[in-house]
Amino acid sequence: MQYWINHNGVQSGPVDLDGLKEMGLTSAAYVWHEGLPDWVKITQLPELQGVYEMVAQDVEPAVAGQPVQAQSVESAPAVQQPEYNSQQPAATEPCPPTNLVWAIIATVLCCIPSGIVAIIYALKVTNKYNEGDIEGAKRASETGAWWCIASIILGILTMPLMFLMSSASVA
Amino acid sequence: MRRSLIIILVLAALLVLGVVYFALDPSTSGIFPRCVFLSLTGYKCPGCGSQRAIHALLNGDVTGAFRYNAFLLIAIPWIALCLFAESRRVRNPRQYARLNAPLLIWLFLAALLIWWLLRNIFDW
Repeated sequence: MQYWINHNGVQSGPVDLDGLKEMGLTSAAYVWHEGLPDWVKITQLPELQGVYEMVAQDVEPAVAGQPVQAQSVESAPAVQQPEYNSQQPAATEPCPPTNLVWAIIATVLCCIPSGIVAIIYALKVTNKYNEGDIEGAKRASETGAWWCIASIILGILTMPLMFLMSSASVA
Repeated sequence: MRRSLIIILVLAALLVLGVVYFALDPSTSGIFPRCVFLSLTGYKCPGCGSQRAIHALLNGDVTGAFRYNAFLLIAIPWIALCLFAESRRVRNPRQYARLNAPLLIWLFLAALLIWWLLRNIFDW
């Protein structure tokens, strides 16, 4: 597999997996290979684990969201572009998880209507993401996940309780 | 590695639950929990009847499942689709974004609330 890399605003590639290992990449790098609809952070490709160094605070690169070769001082086309460059979308992070499925499962199976709150947070995730507010989307995603977990755990915890109550009323 | 272990554990738990729900009928057996919301408020929650519906479904009784919880029956294909997209969120973000579009979530939320309201009015 051939990879294209954008590391701190400098784009390079194509290289294969062995080439990647020699590049001294950090977790701040973005990669793209054929078949991916978009650039992704290198940490998101499980097969690339071990080819990059974790940076202490994995801050967004200076060109966050836009790792195109805009920063080369000389205008010489030093970086070889993939031939299908025109179809290559601008780099964005994929949408953070909306947890929608878990919210639905919690609502429909766990008898706890608090799953509805999680559905509303799922809505918030996609809305914020579409507005370009990735940080906000991530926060909503996290809060929604907690609502899902709380609903499901509460649903499971109350089961024995309800069993006790129903047998008590029978007796 | 950890991820596949979790998936195996979840599948095993689902299998056990499947066998329990296949063999025992929640409407006659006492081991199944009653809905907390129904017990506390006297009103049905959107998920009431799910256990009986799953039992009916596992025994091939689709109309019975529909009578116990119609919404669950309609939601199952949707849940399956969402789970599939969820597992491929990073690899296929477009598909994920399409399934999690705000409009679809709004529609789902509206359907859920209408279902909740109607089932308590008409005793579905």
